[in-house]
Amino acid sequence: MLRYILHRLLMTVPTALLVALAVFVLLRLVPGDPAQLMLGDTATEETLAELRAQLGLDQPIAMQFLYWLGNVAVGDLGRSITNDLPVLPLIFDRFQVSASIVIVAVVLATLVAVPAGMLAAWRQNSLGDLLIVGGATMLLSIPSFWLGLLMLLFFGVKLGWLPVVGYVSFGEDFGRALAYVILPIATLTLIEIGVITRMARAATIEVLRLEYITHARAKGVPEGRVLWRHALPNAFAPTWTLLGLILGNLLGGIAVIETVFTLPGLGRLLVDGIFARDYPVVQGCLLFVAIMYVLVNLLVDLLYPVFDPRVAAE
Amino acid sequence: MRRAALALSLIASPLLLPAAAVAQEPGVLRVALNADIRTNDPGVNRDGNTDAVMMHVLEGLVGLTEKGDVAPLLAEKIDVSPDGKAYTFVLRDGLVFHNGQPVTAEDVAWTWKRYLDPATKWRCQSEFGGKGQTRIEAVEVTGPRTVVFRIDKPTALFLSMTARPDCGGSAILHKDSVDADGKWKGPIATGPFKFGEWKRGQYVELERFAGYRSLPGPRDGYVGGKKVEVERVRFLVIPDPAATKAALLAGSIDVAPDVSADDLEELKRRGDITVDMAPTMSVSGFLLQTTDPLLQDVRIRRAIAHAIDTAEITAGVTKGTGTPNASVIPVPSSYYSAKQKERAKADPALARKLLAEAGYRGQPIKILTNKRYGPMFDAAVLGQAMLQQVGVNAEIEVLEWATQLDRYLKGNYQMMSFSYSARLDAALNFEMMSGPKATQPRKVWDNPEALKLLSEAMVSADRAKRQERFDRLHGMFLADVPMLVLYNGVDISATGPRVKGYKGWAAGQPRLWGVTLQ
Repeated sequence: MLRYILHRLLMTVPTALLVALAVFVLLRLVPGDPAQLMLGDTATEETLAELRAQLGLDQPIAMQFLYWLGNVAVGDLGRSITNDLPVLPLIFDRFQVSASIVIVAVVLATLVAVPAGMLAAWRQNSLGDLLIVGGATMLLSIPSFWLGLLMLLFFGVKLGWLPVVGYVSFGEDFGRALAYVILPIATLTLIEIGVITRMARAATIEVLRLEYITHARAKGVPEGRVLWRHALPNAFAPTWTLLGLILGNLLGGIAVIETVFTLPGLGRLLVDGIFARDYPVVQGCLLFVAIMYVLVNLLVDLLYPVFDPRVAAE
Repeated sequence: MRRAALALSLIASPLLLPAAAVAQEPGVLRVALNADIRTNDPGVNRDGNTDAVMMHVLEGLVGLTEKGDVAPLLAEKIDVSPDGKAYTFVLRDGLVFHNGQPVTAEDVAWTWKRYLDPATKWRCQSEFGGKGQTRIEAVEVTGPRTVVFRIDKPTALFLSMTARPDCGGSAILHKDSVDADGKWKGPIATGPFKFGEWKRGQYVELERFAGYRSLPGPRDGYVGGKKVEVERVRFLVIPDPAATKAALLAGSIDVAPDVSADDLEELKRRGDITVDMAPTMSVSGFLLQTTDPLLQDVRIRRAIAHAIDTAEITAGVTKGTGTPNASVIPVPSSYYSAKQKERAKADPALARKLLAEAGYRGQPIKILTNKRYGPMFDAAVLGQAMLQQVGVNAEIEVLEWATQLDRYLKGNYQMMSFSYSARLDAALNFEMMSGPKATQPRKVWDNPEALKLLSEAMVSADRAKRQERFDRLHGMFLADVPMLVLYNGVDISATGPRVKGYKGWAAGQPRLWGVTLQ
């Protein structure tokens, strides 16, 4: 097992290198000058040239890449062009915000969606199935920014129950922090419920068609036990893989939700960085996201045998 | 059911209380900001939001009035030597910094020494260091409150450049703003607010400065009376305009300084929201590339000018709030004379005639625009329709803003929907678009005669002479059509029911002195 983990971790290195190279090259191919964006249209040719030199943008691109990579190797992702802050602490600060929303939302969505998907599969083609599938499809189809704005207008503006803008960290004031994250968590949960429900339903339908389920039923095993003992663990395994992908994806930032609810998360940092052509921030964020994606999926793979012992045997 | 509702409300009550607390914090004026500030070091790595916040904290020797003219701020008196190369500033008596220390001529000299040091990375260093309009040769302290600036050559722009908000107003700072190694700590300045807590990506807070010595009189741009009526101002970072509107309606913010014209009618209809509109000094229009094989023919450029109905586009883009203006000198400027009001009349027949004379045969003309700034996109769409009406094969290409800016910088376009940020001196308005394209491809207007007139207007301090130069420049500008100026921006702001006294102005930036909370 340890060998397997080490092997997977080592595989992260070439992945990260490829991501670093791709991000660096692609960013430089996109038109747009960070110096011009920083100085605006009042800049003169002299001030632009000076700023480019200060930012090291006058160096050949290959040199810029090697310099950046050398610093990355020792854990230095550079400093933001727009605010001169070190990138790594900036990413960690913002990641905490995104992670606190994403993890809670995915857990909540799983708790609701997996039983709902199983129920729909168990009662396939019934009215209940239709309602669950219809609801899941609707949630899946709603754009997150629209749902977020609706929630904001209804619970924030119309009812005035929850704050509309702002953010307080949990370390600062737990009660207030909770008030600020309820709406984003609820929005993300609802969106993810749609995805997970459909996956859980499809996986359960597959399992319920297998012979051992028929066998269990033929033996006279109660239906509840058939579902929870035989169907759930096997149906949950593919859903677990999907959860890994969803989590890895969302931990990279939920830019739209963060923008609507004014959360200082990783997604917003990345989007702002792209708009400002803040190369160190964008490079750092994408590298971080790629590594996070690999690690989350490694964790999911390692936990897979818990749900499907056949994998461990293999 | 009733029990369930009660239980739910009990569970939810601790969560709901903070929302109410956010909505009704006494003495705190909450203002929306669409992005975080970049730094609190004056004129170093700034943008519009940074200026919006920092100009409440900072004050320089001079400042800008409501009409964009320069007036004394920390200075009580300004004398200019007959040769125009020495400016003597006498500081107002009794001025103190945010740390309680008196403001002296030594502080002025120290501040400017720091600004002129390239290590400070002050964005206006090159302007005063010899690469721009002037070079400061010496800053001499000649008395406890008197300081003399010696410059290499006379210029009419010395004071107005000193007052530029993007230079941080060349604010005078206390030495303790930096540490022993000269590293920036934070602004200890003289403005009506002190810099408070800054939570990056969330909010910036300013505190009322009790020791502030306001100038007499009413509010006037960045000078005039600055009476602070609130204890604190909190600028909340809200990137999404829809969220800003929701926050205003919910009472979570008090001031939305930059409201879209699309929301104007809805906000006006509500009884609890006050909407304010003020023309600004930004300049919007279509840039026409005079080196383009097709557009280098002035008849085609003139045809475009006559095809486009400036008044109609202005009404459409600004939802009736803007004033059409074909001059690069903005309407609020004190140099906006009767001559500056002249513009090419919308005349489709004349446009068709000019196109025929130029031998136009339906070659495509591409209008570059973006969707980050809605008015630029709307203007491009309307402009395209008007050009098509006279037979011009106009196409639109939508770019990401940074890409469009890059194309502007390189002069790589035929026609571009564009906006220039506010310049507060009429000469700078012409300067922003005039220059030799061979060395400065971003420049729009390359006319040697115009450049000569402009350089005269930049040197002369004689107001009548400057006005005459600007009026002649406008006539030449209309004839050359390097740009089709459409309108000046409108600063639309909205305030909640607690706020009284908020007023927008030509710089398009919020001013939170003179504003009360009820």
